[in-house]
Amino acid sequence: MGRPQAKAKNHRHNGNLKNKRSLRLKRKTKDLDEIDRDLKEKPDELLNQEIDLDAPGFAQHYCLHCSKYFINQRALEDHFKTKVHKRRLKELQDDPYTQEEAEKAAGHGSFNKLPAKRKMETQPTKEEYNAGKRVKVEYYTQQELDSMKKKNRKSLNDSKLSVDDQEMKN
Amino acid sequence: MRIETCYFCSSKIYPGHGMLFVRNDCKQFRFCRKKCRKAFQRKKNPRKAKWTKAYRKLAGKELTIDPCFEFEKRRNVPVKYDRELWTKTIDAIKKINEIKERRERHFVMERLRKGTQREIHNDIRDVQKNLSLIRAPEGIRKKDTEDEMKMEEDEEEIEYMPALEMEKKLSAGIMDIDTVKMKN
Repeated sequence: MGRPQAKAKNHRHNGNLKNKRSLRLKRKTKDLDEIDRDLKEKPDELLNQEIDLDAPGFAQHYCLHCSKYFINQRALEDHFKTKVHKRRLKELQDDPYTQEEAEKAAGHGSFNKLPAKRKMETQPTKEEYNAGKRVKVEYYTQQELDSMKKKNRKSLNDSKLSVDDQEMKN
Repeated sequence: MRIETCYFCSSKIYPGHGMLFVRNDCKQFRFCRKKCRKAFQRKKNPRKAKWTKAYRKLAGKELTIDPCFEFEKRRNVPVKYDRELWTKTIDAIKKINEIKERRERHFVMERLRKGTQREIHNDIRDVQKNLSLIRAPEGIRKKDTEDEMKMEEDEEEIEYMPALEMEKKLSAGIMDIDTVKMKN
């Protein structure tokens, strides 16, 4: 039974407690490679879960990419518009990082590949799902990647650099 | 005994060092130190943290494709103990490491050379564009000084006189105001 002041004293050197708590093992959320496996292997199962009284919203409104339950449909749809969700979609575009890649980077075998890019879309809504739309993980084709590169190359800096290169050759 | 590699930064983990995290789907993650473990807990992407090997190789900062990387590899093939093979491989490792280091160094130097060339090129262009801001080179400077000397010779000599004397002369009517102005 300490006074509130004493409590504050004890917590003075603990840093940001909220951050620390989120790092604890008991609050661990899914890693990117686990989510990737979900998307590939059991998206339908996760989108149509049975009623679970312990989960928020009885596990009826689940975001696949962020592995998070929402209390109702509206909250879920609002979440799709947020920065957190969009950022997660972008992170999932690359093939997940593996121990094999770490070993190749350490010099055990040639490290010759950029991570392959996949198309990532927000999961279908219930109506779209009933109409037959499913979650798929598809890779970009080489042509699509090239066209994306060309778009990026139009920025000013790159054009300047190319001029420099020509001058250097001359 | 096996020297493991760190999941996050790809450094070596010797026996008795680092820690092993086993996720609830039985997947194992080895970390060389607290820094890497924390980064994993924070869900950082090793491809984007600049201090990891994965980043350096992806960004083209280090040698990535070379036959010398094909020796040291996890093969998962059982090999029966053979003393001769053992001694031979240890001799080979030294030589391979020497070659590997040389090639890596060469790659880095080549990479840096490009940058210095570009820097020199940019400097030269910068100078050419903004020549007026810099002091003239020595040849031009010599010419300038010669011209100045000539100019000085050409100028008329100016007589200087004390102000009191000039006033007296003016009042006496010896000098005109126009001539004074000319002289000044």
